[in-house]
Amino acid sequence: MANRTVRVDYIARVEGESSLELHVRDGAVDTVRLSIFEPPRFFEALLRGRGFDEVLDIVARICGICPIAYQMSGVHAIENALGIEVDASIRALRRLLYCGEWIQSHALHIVMLHAPDFLGYPDAIAMARDHGDAVQRALALKKTGNELLRLLGGREIHPINARIGGFYRAPSRAELAPLAEDLKRARDQAIATLRWTAGFPFPEFIRDYEFVALRHPDEYPMNAGRIVSSAGLDIAVADYETKFIERQVPYSTALHSVLKDRGAYLVGPMARYALNRDRLPANIRALADEVGLEPMCRNPFRSILVRGVEVVYACDEALRLIAGYEPPPRSFNPPEPRAATGYACTEAPRGILYHRYRLDGEGTILEASLVPPTAQNQGVIEDDLREVATVALDLDDDALKARCEQSIRNHDPCISCAAHFLKLHVHRT
Amino acid sequence: MTGSKQPLALVTGVGNPDRGDDGFGPAVARRLRGRVPSTVRVLARNGDALALIEDWNGIPSVIVVDAMAAITNPGRVHRINLTDNRLPIGFAPRSSHAFGLAETIELARSLGRLPQCLIAYLVEGEQFETGTPLSPAVADAIETVVERIVTEVSARLGAKGSACHA
Repeated sequence: MANRTVRVDYIARVEGESSLELHVRDGAVDTVRLSIFEPPRFFEALLRGRGFDEVLDIVARICGICPIAYQMSGVHAIENALGIEVDASIRALRRLLYCGEWIQSHALHIVMLHAPDFLGYPDAIAMARDHGDAVQRALALKKTGNELLRLLGGREIHPINARIGGFYRAPSRAELAPLAEDLKRARDQAIATLRWTAGFPFPEFIRDYEFVALRHPDEYPMNAGRIVSSAGLDIAVADYETKFIERQVPYSTALHSVLKDRGAYLVGPMARYALNRDRLPANIRALADEVGLEPMCRNPFRSILVRGVEVVYACDEALRLIAGYEPPPRSFNPPEPRAATGYACTEAPRGILYHRYRLDGEGTILEASLVPPTAQNQGVIEDDLREVATVALDLDDDALKARCEQSIRNHDPCISCAAHFLKLHVHRT
Repeated sequence: MTGSKQPLALVTGVGNPDRGDDGFGPAVARRLRGRVPSTVRVLARNGDALALIEDWNGIPSVIVVDAMAAITNPGRVHRINLTDNRLPIGFAPRSSHAFGLAETIELARSLGRLPQCLIAYLVEGEQFETGTPLSPAVADAIETVVERIVTEVSARLGAKGSACHA
């Protein structure tokens, strides 16, 4: 069959609404389109005219799975504009908050959304009948991550406690102590989950990505660092728009972000790990070695292992932060508005999330730019699909569809985050 | 409910109060507080359906309140016993995430973690846009559902907490 069209009208087990269309002509993959039909969100326009102190409540609504990422990029960008430095305790609390989001988001993706692909189940519900222990571990991990969000963020969905200059309220040491007990259990559950995924059958598949992630002098990156790539890029966050550009494609409500000089690039756990493995503690690196994770993994199907390593690290890091926590002398430094532009990039579970805000002298937002990880990964996801389909063309349509969907889920796309733009044509006659 | 004593029953209102009729569940939970015995825990949960399974741990009798897409008339209330039945297709409450209420219930069933008795009260919603209030028909259904739940939990506690009638 020389010409085939493979359509997946609704991609399951991803956040948001999208479809896939694959055209095969004369026995070769001709066109691949990941169409995002999630309605446009208009958040960037919604932010214009609002006060700088409203940003965190607005951007938290962009995503129910990664609201902390939006709040952290937002808070750091506004503080960058206003010249605010926060003290070490506030910085530690923000990192702890991010650990909670990584734990709950990665646990959800690894076990509930991605694992069924490797084990041949249609979904986690069917998988749970045979792999109940793994699913129970994921639920427990997710709960621990949510507890962190609830305590530090005020609630687990669309948190409310972060504010410009710090937090509305900083927890006491006594409030954090019970979480440490949960996190010790979570760490064991995370290790068991990682070892479970290490036994999955991984397709042989290597891609030559340009990895892009934050890099910090001392830490595995979350809230701070320079933007670096495996091809030698090394820039300050404020220079992001000199190297990256967002492009519109006609079949999607999401913009595609590309490197101006080189095109598609990959953000997310694989990129973070490849560019920052040396920032992980020795025990985490040893665990990665034990499960056979190579220092620079280029097989996207093995991204599930990288997420697993990051969950263990996030549990360890959260325990370290709680052990060393001293409540700040005051929970926030009051901000003073000024006319300025601020930039920030933080590591959402799915990769770097860039925010830029231009403020007037009263602190009103004149312009906002938000570039989510999934918008940045769309080019790579389509390129992956083209190569995955090329080597799997002899599969029947159902098997080919399943392999393509698995390939998309390798990147844990958050479609709702990515959809934020619509070009409207009005034809009048 | 105060103290750490395990409750005999749990009522959870599920939904996002900032998205129109999706706020029905939390509105019912708010109105229920103080109107049920202290052995009944009342919770509002904002969207993460998977977290419900952990909430159910060790509690014999659970009532979930949520909104669903309209299939007949907005404001109409359906009571469904989910202990032995799946949530019918078309009754699955709206969710913008990968795991909604229907998937969560079936996952709990697969794991053997369903409560002894699980009842859903679902209201047919009219609009779920961000930043909108409850529609009048759905708001009118709040007190009706509150009264039915008060009656139901009282009857169930009188029957030692585990009776589950269709």
